[in-house]
Amino acid sequence: MLTRDFVGGVASIAIGTVYLYFAYQLRISALDDSMGPGGLPRVYGWLLVGLGAVLTIQAIVSRRMAMASDATGGRDEWDGQGRKILHAAGLLAIGTGYVLVIETLGYLLSVAVLLLVTTLYLGAGNKGRALAVAVLGAVFLWVMFVIVLGVRMPSGVLASLGL
Amino acid sequence: MNKLHLVSAVAAAVLAGGLTAAQAQEYPVDTVTLVTHSSPGGGSDVFLRELSRYLSPYLGANVIVENVSGGSGAKAMAQLAQAPADGSMFYATTPTFIYTSLLSDPEYKYTDLEPLVNFFIDPEVIYTSAKGQFKTLEDVIQYARDGRGQWGAANPASLERQALEQLKAAAGVNAAVVTHEGGGDMMINVLNGTLQIGVGEVQEIQSQIEAGELRLLATFSDKRLDAFPDLPTVKEAGYDVVVRKFRGLAGPKGLPEDVIAAWEAATQKVLADPKYKEAYEGANLRAEFMPHADYVKFIETFGTETADFLKKTGVIE
Amino acid sequence: METLTHTAAFLLDWHVILAALIGVTWGIMGGALPGISPSITMALLLPFTYTLDPTSAIVLLASTYIGAEYGGSVPAILIRTPGTNAAAATVIDGYEMNRQGKAGLALGISLYSGVIGSLFGLAMLMTLSGPLAQVALAFTPMAYFALGILGLSVIATLSGENLVKGMIAAILGLIIATIGSDPVTGGTRFTFGSAELLGGIEPVMIMVGLFAMSELLVQASKRGQDERVTSRPRIQFPDWPLAKRLIPAQMIGNGIGTFEGVMPGAGGTIASFMAYNEARRWSRYPEEFGKGSPEGIAAPETANNTVAETALVPLLSFGIPGSNSTAILLGGFLIHGIVPGPMLFQKSGEVVYGLYAGLFTAAIGQLLIGMAMLPVCIWLVNRPRPYLNAFIFALILSGIYSIHNEAFDLGIMIAAGVLGFFMRMLRFPFLPTVLGLVLGYLVESNFRRSLVLSGDDWMIFVDDRISLGLLILSFLFIGGSIAKRVYDMLRHRPSATFSENAES
Repeated sequence: MLTRDFVGGVASIAIGTVYLYFAYQLRISALDDSMGPGGLPRVYGWLLVGLGAVLTIQAIVSRRMAMASDATGGRDEWDGQGRKILHAAGLLAIGTGYVLVIETLGYLLSVAVLLLVTTLYLGAGNKGRALAVAVLGAVFLWVMFVIVLGVRMPSGVLASLGL
Repeated sequence: MNKLHLVSAVAAAVLAGGLTAAQAQEYPVDTVTLVTHSSPGGGSDVFLRELSRYLSPYLGANVIVENVSGGSGAKAMAQLAQAPADGSMFYATTPTFIYTSLLSDPEYKYTDLEPLVNFFIDPEVIYTSAKGQFKTLEDVIQYARDGRGQWGAANPASLERQALEQLKAAAGVNAAVVTHEGGGDMMINVLNGTLQIGVGEVQEIQSQIEAGELRLLATFSDKRLDAFPDLPTVKEAGYDVVVRKFRGLAGPKGLPEDVIAAWEAATQKVLADPKYKEAYEGANLRAEFMPHADYVKFIETFGTETADFLKKTGVIE
Repeated sequence: METLTHTAAFLLDWHVILAALIGVTWGIMGGALPGISPSITMALLLPFTYTLDPTSAIVLLASTYIGAEYGGSVPAILIRTPGTNAAAATVIDGYEMNRQGKAGLALGISLYSGVIGSLFGLAMLMTLSGPLAQVALAFTPMAYFALGILGLSVIATLSGENLVKGMIAAILGLIIATIGSDPVTGGTRFTFGSAELLGGIEPVMIMVGLFAMSELLVQASKRGQDERVTSRPRIQFPDWPLAKRLIPAQMIGNGIGTFEGVMPGAGGTIASFMAYNEARRWSRYPEEFGKGSPEGIAAPETANNTVAETALVPLLSFGIPGSNSTAILLGGFLIHGIVPGPMLFQKSGEVVYGLYAGLFTAAIGQLLIGMAMLPVCIWLVNRPRPYLNAFIFALILSGIYSIHNEAFDLGIMIAAGVLGFFMRMLRFPFLPTVLGLVLGYLVESNFRRSLVLSGDDWMIFVDDRISLGLLILSFLFIGGSIAKRVYDMLRHRPSATFSENAES
């Protein structure tokens, strides 16, 4: 029953509802135009809910029609998606970890760790090579962003070394 | 934009100028960082970089400029409020920092900073298209009185908008105050006749005035401008609205006495420097030095008046 | 003629040549790094311009801008990451060609289309500045609103097989664009008390998330079961039949780029998307678009390089910067006491001629530097997948961090990546989201500004002739596209619609 379009439609309705809730809470002031800050957001919100409903109905109708003509199908469209989401979530966790440690660990160290962990996670065979690439890659990025471009990356625990 | 660490060409300026100028006073730190919320190349940024070139020898310290844009100054204010109060870091103040404090209610506000000194007051002028029918401010007001005026302000919830809303109230007319995304955007709408008038700083429209494309109608300053002695003030035209777009510095709370004294002395000297004077007068800035004590009071009054305006119009609670 | 002779004199000035070449090299590098926008690339050079003579300073900054606008296409093609906002349209067919092992050709097309765009834009700038400035002047808020609607009308054709899904995707983009400060009152919207959100969300964070981060997640989810064709590390220019086929697309890019460039605030992103869409509409092979069409690279790349040149028209004629990048160029002028505007030619004509010569040198330099640099880039992306993807991950996390120096922004980018991952899984198209994101603010602010001007009289959009024309054009586009869908459906024919993200 849960086709991609059905899930997409329901998700749109949900997002639209949450957005509308906040759109109706925007303050009104005398400097406003007649539309106000909430005017268009409300239109967007209702459109999103409406289109989500259309998509959901479309999904149900086309599913019914498909059921009538062909009994198979349906389930296979989700085959293996759970495992895929799990694999992707692993990379997501690595990224989130990076965001959490960058300010304390500093750019150079965190980016080296990020490179190492990601290469290993994505299936690099040779551990020594992965380590070497991580170290060299981190130094390269650090030189590029911090030295050449002058971006102020957090120095973290290496601050005392002047990095 | 980026919090860029831009060590400007000041180092060179210091080497050239600093060695010749007598370093009379001992400034407590070697390097002073001036923080601006303006992005590199923006109005405040160009102003600060120009200033820093001339200021170093008088202050007896390196002066560098750092851009901390983001949140219309909210981030710069947060950084300053937490900086050490030893005279090593200051924030370039413009009315924006008061508007941001009041409108966005950030964690650190203008009241968490200590105003240092003021350097300039930018004259805000009312201008119209030279091809248009309006010759005086009264023509514009009359037009609005007869029908519906369309006036332009460069940014939403800005000093310019406040000035126009006050003018509207003083003249008792109903004009639409149309906000834009910056002065340039608005200038096009004045030039093509969509708006009757726009409000802006002289330096933004200088080239258009010289080319005869725009006509000045009045200035919001308290007295007439040296560059345009024939231009009446809005007050002279009968509407009691005066606008003071200030450019000064503020630091963390609890600045030491010697730092304040050093800045008061250096500011007066740099403003009198003939070379710098030529540069800033060319850019239509009006020097208006305010010592620490006056500036603190000035900012306080400015803040209260702005808060009153925003509360009265219902923008904030 | 006079312009040409004055300009030619500067072509022998080694200061100008050096400044142009340094600028364009630096620009390509900055533009190619995701998150480092053209304006940041230029801003980094600003301090050095104090010590230069005015002409070299302006040439340095302007060449950086040209280089950066081109540089954005390199990661767009190679790693599905738009290096600049305007390169988002190049991602679609560029990355697709790369996947087919034609990265060398894709980069060759984007490089030579970029140079054509630059030279055409420069010619327009030198000869038609006056009339083009009049076009910019004629655009009222109503016309800008209509222009935004015209841009959004592209969604009707870029939505893939399901128009409803395309519209949902577009509204997601529009919703993201409402976060930040309100364009009329300046009050805050949807910021939930966070100072980081006050200035709104930079479109590039969402684009990098949607395109690059989601691709990394998809590849991680496949766990190396992915067949990959690598390209030879050699840049390849199109042969004559292909070059001939690209001419209409490039002309479309030139035309749209010229007009979008002169309008302050419109910018390269809209130009490249509209050029992409028009190139598809007029192409003899519209079915190839989205699946690695060479025209799909040529049109947007010509357009955004043309924009980089004609964006100087409002700056030089009125002193009005139309974008962050030209604002920094304006700063460069002001630093040297030169005020752009109607008096510029009388007062500092020499600087302008020097600028023209510098821009010409930069366009040629772009070609040479691109040819030298690109093979190395292709070699880099041929490294084994785990290493390459880890490096892309580190690169986008570094680039996005450097926009505001906030870990918060990384969170936004990653969140956009997750959104993109699920949008791909549920078969929603990205392009409408990107368009909504880029056009949301333009449409909303000018819509409301127009209504303030007219006192809530909607007729103002009809009374303004440019606005009326553009709105009629948009409705024709939308109507035509819907009519075609309905017609195809009634004939039970699979609609030859545009599709992206065909793979799950």
